[in-house]
Amino acid sequence: MAFLNDDEMTFSKYILSWFTGIKSLATGLKVTIREFFRPKVTERYPENRATLVMFDRFRGELVMPHDENNQHACTACGICMMNCPNGTIHVISKTETTEDGKTKKVLDRYEYDLGQCTFCNLCVLSCPSHAIVFATTFENAVFTRSKLQKVLNREGSSLRPKAPVKELQANDSPK
Amino acid sequence: MNIQEKISHWVPEAQMEEGQIPAFRIPASRIHDLCKNLRDDQETPYKFLVSLIGMDWGDSLGVIFQLSTLPFDQSVLLKVCAEDRENPQIPSVSDLWGIANLYEREVFCLLGIRFINHPDMRRLYLRSSWNGYPLRKDYNPDEALNPLNLESEPESDIVTQITSNGEGTIQETESALFEKEEYVVNIGPQHPATHGVLHFRVSLDGEIIRKIDLNLGYVHRGIEKMCEGYTYPQMLHLTDRLDYLSAHINRHALCLCVENALQLELPARVQVIRTMMDELTRIASHLLAWACICMDMGALTAFIYGMRDREKIMDIFEETCGGRLITNYNVIGGVMADIHPNFKQRVKDFIVYLRKKIPEYHDLFTGNVIAIGRLKGIGMLSREEAVSYGVTGPSGRASGFSCDLRKYQPYAAYDRVKFNEIIREEGDSFARYMNRLDEISESLFILEQLVDNVPEGLFQVKTKPIIRLPEGEYSQLVEAARGIFGVYIDSRGDKSPYRLKFRSPCLSLVSIMDSIARGEKIADLIAMGGSLDYVVPDIDR
Amino acid sequence: MFDFAIITDWIDQTLKTFLPDGWTFFFECVLIALALLTAYAVLAMILIYVERKICALFQCRLGPNRVGPFGIFQTVADTLKMLIKELIPINSVDRVLFFVAPFIVIAASVLSFGAIPFGKGLQVLDFNIGIFYMIAVSSLGVLGIMLAGWSSNNKYSMIGAMRSGAQMISYELSVGMSLMTMVLLAGSLQLSEIIEAQADTWLLFQGHIPALIAFVVYLIAGHAETNRGPFDLPEAESELTAGYHTEYSGIQFGFFYLAEYLNMFIVASIATTVFLGGWMPFHVSGWDSFNQIMDYIPSVLWFLGKTFFVVFLSLWIRWSFPRLRIDQLLQLEWKYLLPLNLLNLLLMALVVVFEWHF
Repeated sequence: MAFLNDDEMTFSKYILSWFTGIKSLATGLKVTIREFFRPKVTERYPENRATLVMFDRFRGELVMPHDENNQHACTACGICMMNCPNGTIHVISKTETTEDGKTKKVLDRYEYDLGQCTFCNLCVLSCPSHAIVFATTFENAVFTRSKLQKVLNREGSSLRPKAPVKELQANDSPK
Repeated sequence: MNIQEKISHWVPEAQMEEGQIPAFRIPASRIHDLCKNLRDDQETPYKFLVSLIGMDWGDSLGVIFQLSTLPFDQSVLLKVCAEDRENPQIPSVSDLWGIANLYEREVFCLLGIRFINHPDMRRLYLRSSWNGYPLRKDYNPDEALNPLNLESEPESDIVTQITSNGEGTIQETESALFEKEEYVVNIGPQHPATHGVLHFRVSLDGEIIRKIDLNLGYVHRGIEKMCEGYTYPQMLHLTDRLDYLSAHINRHALCLCVENALQLELPARVQVIRTMMDELTRIASHLLAWACICMDMGALTAFIYGMRDREKIMDIFEETCGGRLITNYNVIGGVMADIHPNFKQRVKDFIVYLRKKIPEYHDLFTGNVIAIGRLKGIGMLSREEAVSYGVTGPSGRASGFSCDLRKYQPYAAYDRVKFNEIIREEGDSFARYMNRLDEISESLFILEQLVDNVPEGLFQVKTKPIIRLPEGEYSQLVEAARGIFGVYIDSRGDKSPYRLKFRSPCLSLVSIMDSIARGEKIADLIAMGGSLDYVVPDIDR
Repeated sequence: MFDFAIITDWIDQTLKTFLPDGWTFFFECVLIALALLTAYAVLAMILIYVERKICALFQCRLGPNRVGPFGIFQTVADTLKMLIKELIPINSVDRVLFFVAPFIVIAASVLSFGAIPFGKGLQVLDFNIGIFYMIAVSSLGVLGIMLAGWSSNNKYSMIGAMRSGAQMISYELSVGMSLMTMVLLAGSLQLSEIIEAQADTWLLFQGHIPALIAFVVYLIAGHAETNRGPFDLPEAESELTAGYHTEYSGIQFGFFYLAEYLNMFIVASIATTVFLGGWMPFHVSGWDSFNQIMDYIPSVLWFLGKTFFVVFLSLWIRWSFPRLRIDQLLQLEWKYLLPLNLLNLLLMALVVVFEWHF
C-alpha cells in the first residue's frame, strides 16, 4: 500500500508494498497497545490538592508579605510602579506627621490589577525593600473583572521599622 | 574589493555612514539595480534579504534594506529615502526576493510607503480602511479616529499596483484578486488546523488548489510600536510573546543585541545556562511541531504523546524560571536567577527518557505507510525558493539550504559544543518533518555535553539602573526553533529605542504557502502547513 | 443452552388468552419495537462511553471520570445536553431534505439493527436472504448523508458529502464480496443457518486462509463504510470542520452521531455472526466437558463479548493511524482490496469444492 504513482508501479513492487504496508501499520499498533497497559500520567486535580506542591519560583500572584505584627516593608517609593510596563501597579501614598512634627510619605493603598499583569517580575526585582514577591497561588479565577483588582496592603498595616536595606548581591537568588 | 568600494563603483552618489554595520545612503532610483548587483555579485553575493525596515526619520520616510551573505558573516544596510512625505514611493525589489512581497506590504501597512512595480499593494496587517500609519512619528493614536467596527466588512478583492514604465511616469492600475467564476473557500480564521488565527482564501478547482491569498493581522498587537515607548528592560517580556514556542531564544536575541551595544562581557556561566535553556526550548518546540502535524493528519494519539513528553520540559522550566511557556528568564546582563539545584538531575533524567521515546515516535508515525503517503512528495520547495523567500530553520534545511546560525555565527556557548547540522535535499513535507525529529536528537546531544560542565561564576552582570544604548544601529540574528530571528535597534542615545524591528521567521514560512500549494490537493494544505510549522503571533507581531 | 424462545412463547401464549389474534400481533409488534429502540439507544450510550474511555487509555490519560463513578453517566449528560440544544433554522437550506436526511440515516441503521441475532431465540427478523438484506439496507445510509450535504447549502458540507458518497459506494463492494466468500463456506444466506453451521467450530477456523483474509478485508471495508478511523476524511475535524453534518445542531446532529456508533456496532455484529460464530459458544469438537461448561454462559453474553472485542479492534485502529486522503482511500479499495477479494472468492470456491476446510 505504498501509494506509488502509476508509472512507478510494477507487479513485484505491488506485492512488496502489501507486506511493507502491513508491517508498518502493525508496528504502529504495537506502540499504542503498549501504551494502553501503562499507568496513566494524569494528575488527579482537584482531588490531590492536599498534597499538591507548586515549584516555589512559580509566579502565581503578586503579594505583599505581612509579618505577625501586621507590618510590611513597603516604603511607597514607587519604583515598582515606574518599572511596570503596562500600569498594573498604582502606589497611592499619603503624608503622615510623626510625633516630632516631621512629615513623611507612607503607603495608603497598593493597588494591583491581576488581570493586566504580565508577570514579568520587574517590580519584584527592582523593589529596594523586598516588599513584594510572587506567591504560588494559581487558583485565581473569579467571576467579575473587578475582583481581579486587588489592594495588597492589609487593613491597619504599617511599615516595619527600618532594618538595614540589603544590597542585592549578584550571587543571591531573589526569592 | 570591499563593500564600500563596490557600492561606490556602482552608485557613486552613495554616502557611507559609520557604525557597527556598514550602512550606505542610496538614492531611491538606484536601489533596485544596486540590490540586483549585490545579489548577483561573483565574489561575495548578498543573497539573503534579512529584513526591510520601514523608518520615519522625522523629516522623511524611508526604508532600510538589510542584506546578508549566505554564511551570514557580512551584512550591509542600504538606506533609501522617499522624497515626498505626502506620497512616498520607492522602487520595489519583489522581483529579486520573493519575501520582499510581504515585507513591502508590511511597510506600506505601517508607514504608508508605496512600492513601484510591486504586484499587490495592499495593507498586510491592518484593515484597508484604517486611518493613519502607526509607525510614523506623527501618528495619532486617538481611538475616535479608528473606532471598533461592529459590523463585518468583507475583505476587498481589488488589488492596486503602481507601475512605472521606465521613463519616470507612474500610473496606478487596479486588478481583481479572484475571478468571478473561481470557487473560493475560506480556511480560517477559526479553524482547528491553521496553528493560530490565520485566514487563507483558497481558490479551488475541484480538489486542486489554484491560488492562495493570505489574510494576516488577526493577532497584530503593534509590538514594534510598543517597544518605542518602553525602556530596554521593560520590552524584554514582549519578545516572549512573539513566537511563544521559542520564547527563550527570542528573548536571548534581544538581550544579546543590547549587550553587544553596551559592550557587556558575559560570564561563561551565563553563556552555558542560556545555551541549555535555548536547546530545551528548541526540543519543546519541535515536540509540539511533531505533535501538531500528527494531529492535523488525524493521529490524535501521537499528539497526546508529544504533549506528555513536553510536560517534562515544562516542569524543568517552571522550577528554574518560574513560568512554563512564557519563561521570562533572560535579562540584560545575564539571567534572572541562578539555575535551581534540581536542574541538572532533571535534565539528565529527561535526556535518558526522551532518547527512549524517539524510536517510539518513529514507530508510531514516521514509518506508517499512511503518513508517508500523505507527506512524501507534497509541497516541494526548491533551494532557490528557500533562499529567495528567506525560509530558514528546519524547513529551509529540508530543501538543502544550509542556514544554521549556530554553526555560521556561533553565539552563547555554541562554539564550544559539537553537533551536526541536519540537512536534507528533498524539500518535501516529509523531509521537513524528519528534520525536526533529528534536530531533537541533536539538541539532546548538546544538552548532554553541557549539563555536567556548567562553569562557576556570576549568573548576572550588574548594569546601570537605567540602560541607555549609545547612538547607532545594532543588529543580532539568532537561530530560533523556526528559523532566523533577528532584532534591529536604532538608538539615539535614549533609554528607549528610536526604532526596533523584529525579523520574524514565520512570515517567510507562511509566504511560501502560496507557491508550494499550487497544484496540490486541499487535504494536503493542512499537511503542508503543519510541516512548515508557523506560529501566527510571530507572523503578525 | 438457554433458549429465549421459551420466554417469547410464554408472552405469546399469555397475550393470546386475553386478546384475539390480531390484537396480540399488534401488541407484540409494539413490544418488539420498544425493545429494539431501547436497546438501540442504550447500546449507543454504552458504546460512546466505551469509546471515550478506551481512547483515553490509549492516549495515556483517564477519560471521563467526573460524572458518576468512573464517569459512567457521562453519556447521559451528553445526551441531555444534546436534547436541549436549539435546532437552528437556517435560511437558505432545502427545508424538506434538510429535515429528512438524519431520519434516513437512522432508519437505515435501525432496519439493519433489527435483523441481528442477539442470542438463541432473540432474533427479530430472520429472512432467508439475511445477509443480502443487511447489505442492502445499510446502503441506504449513503442516501441520507448525501442529502444532508446537499441540502445544507454549504460548500464544505457538499465537499464532505461527495467524498463520503464515493467512499461508501466503493467500499460496499468489498463488504459484499467478503461476506459472499463466507456465504459460500456456510452454504446459506440466512443468518440463523449461518450460526447453526458454526455449532462445532467457528467459520473463521473452518475456512482457515481464505476466511482469515475475508475477515481482515471485511473489517477494513466495514470500517470504511461507517466513516470511522483512518477513513474519516468526510468528517475530518481538522480539515473541513465537520463535513456533511456541519450545519446540524441539537438532536439532528445527535442522530448522525448515534447512527455512526450503531453502524460500527452493526458492522461488528455482522463480523461476529459470520466469522466468529454469533451467539455460539466456543466449542472444540471432541472436548465434551469443556463444551458443556461453555454452554452455561448465556448466548447473549457470548454475542456481546465477541462484538465488543471487534469494536475494540476498531477503536484501536482508529486511534493509532492518521487519516487517508480521498484519492488514497479510493486507491486502497479499487487497486488493493478489490483484486484481493476476487482472488479470495476464487480460493474459497476451490476450498469448498474440494472440501479442504475443517
